[in-house]
Amino acid sequence: MIVESSSQVARATLLKRFPIPSNFGVDPKSRITRGKTWRAPNGAKRTKLFDVYRYDPESSENPRLDRFEVDLDECGPMVLDALFWIKNRVDSTLAFRRSCREGVCGSCAMNMDGTNWLACTRFISDLADPAKIYPLTSRSIIKDLVPELTDLLAQYELIEPWLQTRTREPEKERPQSPEERAQLDGYYECILCFCCTSACPSHWWNPKRFLGPAALLQAWRWLTDSRDEATENRLDALEDSFRLYRCHTILNCTRTCPKGLNPGRAIAEIKRKMVERRG
Amino acid sequence: MLNNSTHRNEPAAAPVVPPAAIRLRPLSPNIQIYRPQLTSVLSIANRITGVISSIGTVALVAWLAAAALGPTAYSGFQGEIASVPGQVILAGFTFAFFLHLCAGIRHLVWDTVHGFELRTIYISGWAVVFASILLTVLAWAISLFVIT
Repeated sequence: MIVESSSQVARATLLKRFPIPSNFGVDPKSRITRGKTWRAPNGAKRTKLFDVYRYDPESSENPRLDRFEVDLDECGPMVLDALFWIKNRVDSTLAFRRSCREGVCGSCAMNMDGTNWLACTRFISDLADPAKIYPLTSRSIIKDLVPELTDLLAQYELIEPWLQTRTREPEKERPQSPEERAQLDGYYECILCFCCTSACPSHWWNPKRFLGPAALLQAWRWLTDSRDEATENRLDALEDSFRLYRCHTILNCTRTCPKGLNPGRAIAEIKRKMVERRG
Repeated sequence: MLNNSTHRNEPAAAPVVPPAAIRLRPLSPNIQIYRPQLTSVLSIANRITGVISSIGTVALVAWLAAAALGPTAYSGFQGEIASVPGQVILAGFTFAFFLHLCAGIRHLVWDTVHGFELRTIYISGWAVVFASILLTVLAWAISLFVIT
């Protein structure tokens, strides 16, 4: 009941999804149909079912949910291992992003059993049977589990995530006290997986105008960096009824961050700074 | 002039219309599959109870107007409220009011940038739920048994 860290998976659950029709408000081309079922090869003893979202951009069909029976004795413990097993042994057309397999690159971000996380750090045993694997929430889908991220990256670029100074560049480094450096802790570690932004209901309803927790967390990272001198300009850019202020402190972002960061608090800090400078 | 801040001075690029293949892309499901968690559920409950409280305020005004209009109007209104569905609706209004109140206080605390650790979010969240149930029961107990 009391969640101490975002890595805690909800055990007891009253509702697995909101009590609304399963295709509620979904436009016709995004409606999901039931797809094929792929049984495990013979001799498989420990198996688990995975319902995986599939979409083929080269066919005119709607997205579907394929059911794969995965042999758990043949694959590693993480969901990414299961996806690789499916791709190597069953259906090689399954597409997903991946790179580091250790939770530091952010490529394999996806929605598993209703929450966004990295596939390489989510244990298969933490999922239900059948496990539901969907791509990152509310994203335009390129293929299968590969979401379109260029719009999110454009929102990140909008907050100008680079050092801006007036003073001349020093000969060596820009000095920073340990206390000043500590201000960056909890914000510089973001891997831009966008689990938080695609978990935010406010971003679902205003994807173009609300910047979302990932971009705003980075906005705070630069606002709180003692070496940056563009603080006033950065705050000016957020003086807009949508960019920052569509955040209603829903806090799905903090709940879902696979790195344990706190975008909710970062946004609250920005809002406080916005108020403080009004005097 | 700030170094490295030329970005904002660039003129806005003309919007590009994406090709057909991109326009046909489906949108991955959001509210249809995302797990309800204490965070999102309490947030939408705060909004819904806010709307219900607004309706309740109108109902309150209607009750006061009935009182101002004289004994017949007032006793008619009281008769409706005394019925079982009337009492259920009144209890619903009470609970909605208290939930919105407690969640509102939680929001005020957040405005001071306190209580954002996940553990605190969950403890304060459950505190809001139980406090509003407790306050509703207390309010009804007082109105039924104490106020004669």
